[in-house]
Amino acid sequence: MKILIADDSRVMRQIVTRTLRQAGYGDHDLVEAADGQQAVDMAVAEKPDLVISDWNMPELTGIEVLRKLRAAGNDVKFGFVTSECTDEMKQAAESAGSAFFIVKPFTADQFEQAFAPILG
Amino acid sequence: MSQTVVTEGDLAEMVEQVWVSYLDPEGINPLVLTGDAKQPSEVHSTVSITGSWHGHLVYASSKHAAQKAAAAFLAMEPDEVGQEDISDVLGELANIVGGNVKAMLPAGCFLSLPTVVLAPDTASYYPAAERISGLYGAWDGEPVSISMWQSVTKEAKA
Repeated sequence: MKILIADDSRVMRQIVTRTLRQAGYGDHDLVEAADGQQAVDMAVAEKPDLVISDWNMPELTGIEVLRKLRAAGNDVKFGFVTSECTDEMKQAAESAGSAFFIVKPFTADQFEQAFAPILG
Repeated sequence: MSQTVVTEGDLAEMVEQVWVSYLDPEGINPLVLTGDAKQPSEVHSTVSITGSWHGHLVYASSKHAAQKAAAAFLAMEPDEVGQEDISDVLGELANIVGGNVKAMLPAGCFLSLPTVVLAPDTASYYPAAERISGLYGAWDGEPVSISMWQSVTKEAKA
């Protein structure tokens, strides 16, 4: 299974990778995008099974990435790992088709809970 | 001035989560609060909040504390991290605390991308804002602070 991690912070992409490993998902094929536009491009080119995206990124925000993908008919499983968490954002994410919403700082347990139904 | 929307107690709770998750997962080296608002800093990062509330969240520390934070985030030794790693981690620290702060503010706020300055934070950077809360402490003997600044422009007062 291939997972795309989109975050403009290289360090945060590494932490997401490490936490995926701690949560028992280290064997998946991981690819990374450093901004919103790159996330869209890679979601199309790399055909990941899951996109884990930051919200606040240069070029396109995470929610714009998700809406662009859905508008283009791309149904990839998609969710957010972000420091921002308001009810309006959660609602926007859900109605755009987001499968999960994890708030930074996060733990491996939270990853496990969010990804178990998706990654098995 | 309007009522403080995010108190020092709220900031302390968020900061504790950051320490437990990334900077001190073993629970042996917490941020020890000293309350010394005049403690020196050598680097800082900021996120701005606009919309229904205007202001900044500032994370400031010594260079050594920033290097240690980067090492903890990356699971590396402090002498292995580069300046880019330090900037990235400083930005992410302001972003994480700022994002959690935003969740406590009135609906309709926007968070900027972080700005990192490898120089001390001084009041001169926020000429149109006043500090409304702040945590000042030592992490392994090194100064670290997290403070909130509210804009005092006409729009914010209106």
